[in-house]
Amino acid sequence: MEDYLLEEKTAFVVEEVSKIIKDSVETVIGEVSYKHGRVNQWTTSVVEQCLIQLSKQGKPFKYIVNCIIMQKNGAGLQTASTCFWDNATDGSCTVRWENESMYVIVSVFGLAI
Amino acid sequence: MVEGSDTYFLRPNHQLKFKPAIVKGYIREIVRERLSGVQYDPENVPELTLSLAESVKDKVKSSGFDRYKLVVQVLIGEQRGQGVKMSSRCLWDADTDNYAEDVFMNDSLFCVVAVFGSYYY
Repeated sequence: MEDYLLEEKTAFVVEEVSKIIKDSVETVIGEVSYKHGRVNQWTTSVVEQCLIQLSKQGKPFKYIVNCIIMQKNGAGLQTASTCFWDNATDGSCTVRWENESMYVIVSVFGLAI
Repeated sequence: MVEGSDTYFLRPNHQLKFKPAIVKGYIREIVRERLSGVQYDPENVPELTLSLAESVKDKVKSSGFDRYKLVVQVLIGEQRGQGVKMSSRCLWDADTDNYAEDVFMNDSLFCVVAVFGSYYY
């Protein structure tokens, strides 16, 4: 039986996604200090910016983008994730970013279709 | 992983759909059992988060969502009066894919668990 697959399965490219995330966070937050009233809007904007840039790439992927913003207070924070997927085609990228008053952690999971 | 066996089903049968309410129940049970009365300890926390994620993933896997790829995210933080905000957005097929999440708090830590399920066509 012939194989009718016309394209190779694309894999998740971590460097590109990492760059997209960094750019989104810099654009939305940059050097601003933590303000409780604005956090909602920041998380939404960061996540939306990432998703828009990711979908512009046009790859056959489903994406899950997660953003955590925490005020710098001396408290500890730990995050872990585990996934059940196809290691050859799917991948994740997590970027930790900070400025003087807050920590921002953004994770992107890409699942191939 | 599911061995790419072609089922030609573009949509899961209703019984096999990712059910957020059920998964949320599993998450709640596991987290309450493992974290009640636990204090935030920077030494233990890294392996605690990882093992919690693995337990939740195994539980969800064994409950019959066969054609679903899963992503489980666990966040544990110390309670010190700081502000935290976590938000997610997904680009997927809203018909077949879904997520479930739960938050647990005691007086020394808080824990957020999110499980995302994406149908493998």
